[in-house]
Amino acid sequence: MTKFSVEAKVGFFVVIGMIVLAYMSMKVGKFEYAGEKGYELYAYFDSAEGLVKGVPVQIAGVEVGRVKEISLEAGKAKVAFQLDPEVQVGEDAEAAIRTKGVLGDKYVEVIPGSPQAQPIKPGGRIVRTQSPANIDTLLKQLSSIGTDIKEITQSLSGVLGGREGETSLKTIMDNIRSIAETLNETIQKNNENINRTLDNLAIFSKDLKEISGTNKEAVHEIVANFRQVSDQFRDALIAFSEITGKINRGEGTIGKLIHDEETIRSMNETLVALKGITEKINRGEGTIGKLVQDDETADNINAALSSINEYLQKEERFRTYVDYRGEYLFDSDDVKSYLSLRIQPKEDKYYLLQIIDDPSGKKTVTETTTTVGGTSTTEYKEEIDKDEIKFSAQIAKRYYDLGLRAGLFESTGGIAADYYLFDDRLILSLETFDFDPDENPHLKFKADFTPFQYIYLTVGFDDFISTEGTESFFIGGGLRFSDEDLKTLLSGAPIPKN
Amino acid sequence: MAKPESSPVIELVSLHKSFNGQIVLDGLDLRIEAGQTTVIIGQSGGGKSVLLKHMIALIKPDQGKVLVEGVDITRLNDRQLNNIRKNFGMLFQAAALFDSMTVGENVAFPLREHTRLKQHEIDEIVKHKLRQVGLKGVAHKMPSELSGGMQKRVGLARALALDPKIILFDEPTTGLDPITADAIDRLIVDTQKHTNATCIVISHDIESTFKIADTVAMLYHGKIVEIGKPEDIKSSKNLALQQFIQGKAEGPIQVV
Amino acid sequence: MIKIIETIGRGLIRFIEEFGQVMFLLMSAATWMVRPPARLRAIFKQMEFVGVNSLAVVILTGAFTGAVLALQAYHGFRLFGAESLVGSTVALAMTRELGPVLTSLMVTGRAGSAMAAELGTMRVTEQIDALYTMATNPIKYLVVPRIVAGVLMLPVLTIIADFVGILGGYIVGVGLLEINSGIYVAKMIEIVELEDIFNGLVKSACFGLILSLVGCYKGFYTTGGAQGVGQATTRAVVIASVSILISDYFLTAAMF
Ligand SMILES: Nc1ncnc2c1ncn2[C@@H]1O[C@H](COP(=O)(O)OP(=O)(O)OP(=O)(O)O)[C@@H](O)[C@H]1O
Ligand SMILES: [Mg+2]
Repeated sequence: MTKFSVEAKVGFFVVIGMIVLAYMSMKVGKFEYAGEKGYELYAYFDSAEGLVKGVPVQIAGVEVGRVKEISLEAGKAKVAFQLDPEVQVGEDAEAAIRTKGVLGDKYVEVIPGSPQAQPIKPGGRIVRTQSPANIDTLLKQLSSIGTDIKEITQSLSGVLGGREGETSLKTIMDNIRSIAETLNETIQKNNENINRTLDNLAIFSKDLKEISGTNKEAVHEIVANFRQVSDQFRDALIAFSEITGKINRGEGTIGKLIHDEETIRSMNETLVALKGITEKINRGEGTIGKLVQDDETADNINAALSSINEYLQKEERFRTYVDYRGEYLFDSDDVKSYLSLRIQPKEDKYYLLQIIDDPSGKKTVTETTTTVGGTSTTEYKEEIDKDEIKFSAQIAKRYYDLGLRAGLFESTGGIAADYYLFDDRLILSLETFDFDPDENPHLKFKADFTPFQYIYLTVGFDDFISTEGTESFFIGGGLRFSDEDLKTLLSGAPIPKN
Repeated sequence: MAKPESSPVIELVSLHKSFNGQIVLDGLDLRIEAGQTTVIIGQSGGGKSVLLKHMIALIKPDQGKVLVEGVDITRLNDRQLNNIRKNFGMLFQAAALFDSMTVGENVAFPLREHTRLKQHEIDEIVKHKLRQVGLKGVAHKMPSELSGGMQKRVGLARALALDPKIILFDEPTTGLDPITADAIDRLIVDTQKHTNATCIVISHDIESTFKIADTVAMLYHGKIVEIGKPEDIKSSKNLALQQFIQGKAEGPIQVV
Repeated sequence: MIKIIETIGRGLIRFIEEFGQVMFLLMSAATWMVRPPARLRAIFKQMEFVGVNSLAVVILTGAFTGAVLALQAYHGFRLFGAESLVGSTVALAMTRELGPVLTSLMVTGRAGSAMAAELGTMRVTEQIDALYTMATNPIKYLVVPRIVAGVLMLPVLTIIADFVGILGGYIVGVGLLEINSGIYVAKMIEIVELEDIFNGLVKSACFGLILSLVGCYKGFYTTGGAQGVGQATTRAVVIASVSILISDYFLTAAMF
């Protein structure tokens, strides 16, 4: 049996770890990479309840993108999604927040419009939206519908039970026929709407299922509501059967019915009311109508347009930062200070101008060793110089979480890399400069952490591969203000926008 | 007063040290001359090991200075101390061998750390040093497989491995049979002569003390009460010293 | 009453003092880490000890944690017909929490305690002092490799624990409980994000720092012989475990 060296074992172990990591990342990460491509659209919803960043966007059940950002704007939920580049969405498309699976993960379903419609351009808005239905309100409304129906049937029963109504049975029959015809017509005309109602009912029942999964209490409430509804329905049915029973019980009663003018009038009124209800449904008004047809509110558009303007202004704005940082160097027990101006014309690009007060120019320690008779004495001599003032001027560009800088670092040429973590609250930087052929380059590593808006803390190593022993661990902190902050501080003094 | 050519290598200036209120060193002054063997004697528990550890800054004094070649090592940082310590070799009272390494690796350790010698050169020196302390064929053993006296000798070989300028021995012959003890005494004398090192030896063994010492110093009550050439020490009037070298229980030093 | 306040106050001062010492050790370790030479051999040895040798226990822990998680999640999810989410639950729990935390706790028990015991023994047998005398800084020689190994190896162990945990969950979920394997995997891939895995690994690196730092700290400053070593070991495990769990909360709050 061959014995592996320590290095081989560790190496093998690390390689296995990396393979596992690579495998898992590839499996899991494929959407992340896809997500970066494509284009963005957005839509306003009355409610984005339950929707989270990163959930899928589907068309006809096929994933075509992900939700990128959810924010509140003018009292509405603004949802931005990233769509795959090959997917096109027509201007008359509709975005709906739907529920997936039993545990009720919300996702966005885009219902494509007609094929003739203009496709929405990247960055555009899907105007038509459906917010998730709120189960509780729906159930309450259903229950009140039940009450309405009960009232109708009760009054019907009253009408049919009256003696004078017997004479007008024929008229009633005629009326009933005409109602049936109207209903039929309505149904025919609204075939599509009814289908959608059924669809909505399907979603609704899914939502119900979801609720039963997540929330016992809600389920109880729903069941109670249901019981109420169905009780009312049963009452209605009993009333109906009473009517039919009465009709069935004999011709004499029917004759009486036909002769009663009063009954006929009230019955006609009832029927007219019924007709009114169906018409209302048809027009998309009232409770059921809401299920059948969605109201489109045009005044959204105005709000949206103004907020787009605002958004664009924000994106293009020039920003300037003033920054002071101090680093306490442990080895030399000194503070190195930096005063910088950062001009940021774009989100991913900035220019940095810096003045540095470097104390390492301050002290020079000379070590002289004199040897007297086999014994050597070492003398340390300190010379006091002025602090050295240095300059930096850099250009920086950022790619996602990685930033690169190049230019003048402490009065010498250099480059640096910054890695941004946790929403830019932690920045890890490695700077390399002062490429003197005789000595190691000056390497500096630092981590800047911003716990609050204006203040940040820093730790790191300065010059850590120094050959002159100037390497030092440091900790420090700084203050950073943007032009906006300064504007408020200097009470309205105008900041030039270059 | 000191002769101009013999400036002290180590100078302790009014050293104070106490542990939890127990005063161990009480304003101790001592000059160690270069190229000599100085033996420090004193009662068990009198603070000899503590004194020795001050010389290499393993212990920092509560007060006072430790000057090594004129530099006060109590004020140096880790890195500067490291540089000073490269001149030292030290044998611990309990050997302090690295128990995760073999005997050979223990002796090779300072060579690996501070020289760029090749493996076979290191092996050669290790073998030689081990033979000097009377050990053969133990290089591959672990320290726990050795007797106390053998461990002590491995520690000695390790302390001598780099031929340091200053060597501190904490009781090099305690726990050895008289013959081996005498051989070790000779080794110390020879090493000192060959490399002109400065040796500081702690010893209880009066006989070996007078064999190897150029200077003898007596530590008593946290101070050096007597220092001088072996002959002067033998004829000293100090009662405590006389009691110590004669090894009597009666006298100013009361043990029980 | 005053006694109680006094006790609490003393405890608090002790805590702050100790925390400061740990930070000081971390800082000197960081300083010595970048000073040449890079002790790759010592680092590799520790990596073997912390990483490779912990593999078996981490795999066992990971696999059975994943398995039992699948079992428990199944019983819960079956109540509302969400068995297909067992895979995602196991994967999320493993990558975000259980992988990093359990791995770190196991390694604390295995390697953190060993670090404290090893350094503690070296301290009480003066081996650490011996390192100083040989101009080898023990922080660089002993502490830095352990901390580096802890920080580097924990993420590797964690990713393996994540993987075998998910595998264990899969075996129970698909093999035993007969959840459809296609749905099981698809749901898992759909719900787990790259970020979950990476944040878990960042956490485990922090835990690796904590456990090695605490182990080294307790060992390095051990006093009081064999009993002291025992105490240092126990305290190292307790302090490291508690610190891992506490910092886990804050790291999680900061990351997810
Ligand atoms: N780290 C320490 N903490 C507390 N007390 C200590 C410490 N080191 C030494 N002492 C005390 O200092 C005193 C001197 O100890 P030291 O080891 O120097 O004695 P010694 O002269 O070397 O004795 P021996 O000849 O027995 O080795 C002893 O009383 C010991 O209890
Ligand atoms: Mg002693």
